[in-house]
Amino acid sequence: MNFTWKIGGEAGFGIMTTGTVFSKIASRFGYHIFDYVEYPSLIRGGHNAYEVHVSEIEVSYLNPTIDVLVCLNKETYEKHKARLTSSSLVVFDRDEFEVKEDIKKIIIPFKKILSDLKGQPVMKNTIALGVSIGLLGGNINELIKMISEQFIKKGEEVINFNKQFVQAGYDEIKKNYSDKILKYLIKKPDKEKLAMTGNDAFSLGSVIADCRVYSAYPMTPSSSVLTNLAAWQEEVGMVTRHAEDEISVINTAIGASYAGVRSAVGTSGGGFALMVESISFAGITEIPIVVFIAQRPGPATGMPTWTEQGDLLFSVFSGHGEFQKVVLTPGDNEEMIELTAKAYNLADIYQLPVIVMSDMLLSESHKTVSKKFVDDFISKYKVDRGKLFGQDSSFVKTFPVAKALRDKSESKQKYLRYQITDDGISPRLIPGTPGYFYQANSYEHVEDGHTTEEAQSRIDQVDKRARKWATYLSHDFAMPKVYGDLEKSEIVFVSWGSNKGAVLQAQKLLFEKGTFSAFIHFNHIYPLDKEKVTALLNQNKRYILVENNSWGQFGKLLTMETGVEIKEKFLKYDGRPIWAEEIVAKLT
Amino acid sequence: MNVSTIQDFSGYNPTWCPGCGDWGIGVAIKQALIQLGLNPSRVAAVFGIGCSGNMNDFLNAYAIHSLHGRAIPNAIGIKIANHQLPVLAIVGDGDCYGEGGNHLIHACRGNHDITVIVHDNGVYGLTTGQVSPTAQKGFKSKSTPSGILETPINPLALTLTSGATFVAQGFAGDVLHIISMIKAGIEHKGFSIVNILQPCVTFNKINTYQYYLQRTYKLDANYKKDDFKTAVQKSLEMNEEKFPLGVIYQVVKPSFTDQLPQLKEQTLVNKKRFTDFSKLTKLFI
Repeated sequence: MNFTWKIGGEAGFGIMTTGTVFSKIASRFGYHIFDYVEYPSLIRGGHNAYEVHVSEIEVSYLNPTIDVLVCLNKETYEKHKARLTSSSLVVFDRDEFEVKEDIKKIIIPFKKILSDLKGQPVMKNTIALGVSIGLLGGNINELIKMISEQFIKKGEEVINFNKQFVQAGYDEIKKNYSDKILKYLIKKPDKEKLAMTGNDAFSLGSVIADCRVYSAYPMTPSSSVLTNLAAWQEEVGMVTRHAEDEISVINTAIGASYAGVRSAVGTSGGGFALMVESISFAGITEIPIVVFIAQRPGPATGMPTWTEQGDLLFSVFSGHGEFQKVVLTPGDNEEMIELTAKAYNLADIYQLPVIVMSDMLLSESHKTVSKKFVDDFISKYKVDRGKLFGQDSSFVKTFPVAKALRDKSESKQKYLRYQITDDGISPRLIPGTPGYFYQANSYEHVEDGHTTEEAQSRIDQVDKRARKWATYLSHDFAMPKVYGDLEKSEIVFVSWGSNKGAVLQAQKLLFEKGTFSAFIHFNHIYPLDKEKVTALLNQNKRYILVENNSWGQFGKLLTMETGVEIKEKFLKYDGRPIWAEEIVAKLT
Repeated sequence: MNVSTIQDFSGYNPTWCPGCGDWGIGVAIKQALIQLGLNPSRVAAVFGIGCSGNMNDFLNAYAIHSLHGRAIPNAIGIKIANHQLPVLAIVGDGDCYGEGGNHLIHACRGNHDITVIVHDNGVYGLTTGQVSPTAQKGFKSKSTPSGILETPINPLALTLTSGATFVAQGFAGDVLHIISMIKAGIEHKGFSIVNILQPCVTFNKINTYQYYLQRTYKLDANYKKDDFKTAVQKSLEMNEEKFPLGVIYQVVKPSFTDQLPQLKEQTLVNKKRFTDFSKLTKLFI
């Protein structure tokens, strides 16, 4: 079983909430989901659409066809009818518009129900949910239970009022279309799942990693991280700050991180552009910081509510001067949780900016994640604050111990914040520690933090910082994961980030046609281990670069870092995510 | 308890021009910290970029030498992480009223419990004498050879109307008075700013020691510092080149961190890690 349900209507009328409820209810029924929203950068007017791909197996791609299309206005039908098949069901209201084409029509009197029950126009969605669950063979009581949970704070009266609309929609199907009911959403026993977006996964990963300050300025498609963490802050004991601009955002986080708490910021490309001077500042001061970038199509304001991977090179090379950073590009929610939590450890261990990249598709699409996966990850995750002056940490055990730490004969060691070490990492000290003080200096500095313009001190500090990358590559860098059998495959896809779902599906489609393919998925995207990555990419294969941008930015980065050039490219840059079928079509 | 000395707070020898107002401000900051019973481990200072910011190497403390204009958000971040630590932002007029002006306004609004000490000399000294946002209209400088067209920022009026709960002004020629202003600012619970009128002996031939000696006056002992309208009127005297010295305005309101229930028991940096993740995962079922 594998189907796509889609709902559309005018912006501002609750389409998003309805879609999320549908995703969650399908997950509660025991199925996997992957959903996708389309909306203009408007609050009212314009067209909103929300589709949910439901499957018995894990999915993270979009279906080319729509099985059930719920049209709350005519535009929904017109915009999406190209994806209907002869077996698709189309839900609409004859009082709204008429459908001329010969399709399977489910006519629901939304307007009449609203007026009979004295509902607001937004409650068309509630009716639509009842209709959808009825049509897909789901249990209405589960939906009512979820609606009750949703309105629990608003009281019994609001719950009961909403229930009527759900029931009315459901009854229309039972009464008039019982022959059309699809037995798709029959509740089946399955492991408990969490229906979450990439932004939810980043939020949860941050709390797991003990992030205590999250600072942000709202910017689509990153904003729900701020709203999540702001809602959770009192419960989990963190502080969120919605500052006046992105420059203040990142400098608030840098200040908090200096003072000893794990700190992060989140934004999209334009907001990140304002932050980059401070990325460089975190680089030279060696203050840990995690930066979440949810990409959208640029340049400038671009297409705010659509998706693209156009900021990879910008992120990799962000900041003036030469300094170290790590860039991670998770491909789905599971990787987002793992790599987010890892990002905080890397930031602390290597004392540098760690950028976690997402895009609108990953950030705003829900995908089911096994609850056990999350629970297991939580129990095995360890907070590693890296080298701390005068304290034993797991890092000290595995890395060459700083000289100052070895020398215990002196009761009062002189603290050197930027001590020259073999691994490039100098122990940190939490401000407020009695008997010490130091400055984090945005100027080049000597070991104790004071400003310097001396040639040798400059060279020493540049080299010290550079050694952090060497240490990272040998200790924490992870090679890209290879999906499929590399030896057997002639075709090898090379991609990164949220394209993962579409490429994996393309591999399946090819396999169905008898073609083996492999897929090299990069999520530790910068810096790269030149030797190992080159060995993976210079075999006698047909390599195809898949990216959601027009330059093939990762291809350029690969060439720059390894000398490997991938000539064949599938590039998409219309603001829409990549579809598996498009990749397959490109091959033939 | 050992009382700190001026040596405890003294780092490298200052490199300011002989006669620069920064010398007086530097001594005043150290004296204020000593008189408050603090030591270099018990205070955080964030410096901007400029002649004033160069104090980072001359003052011992837990410090950040920040970017130009960004000291205030760094200071806010430190305060959020550790609200028991006194936090100073030591900045210049270009730094705080120009490059970082937006941060200043919003720090006032948030009543963030930090003390902003502004070296206000009307010029950019470190870049050899261009005008700053507090330069008087018509001031000739390398970047404004025919005289600056803009009217000056009024730091007192700006911060007052933006919600600052402590606004004071000092003059670098009166170190004892600045010490008392800085102490009062640090002791104030909430956002405090001390604007210090400071002659730049190298690049500003207008706003000299003589200029300020003739045009500054101290608020008298009966001045009502908790009256907003009076304070605004006082702040506007600067438009007539009259400079009141003292605490122009002070009221007590809850600071940003005072209003966060999650910081009631403990500072953020000292809190225990949150571990009851089932409270979060259930939101996604």
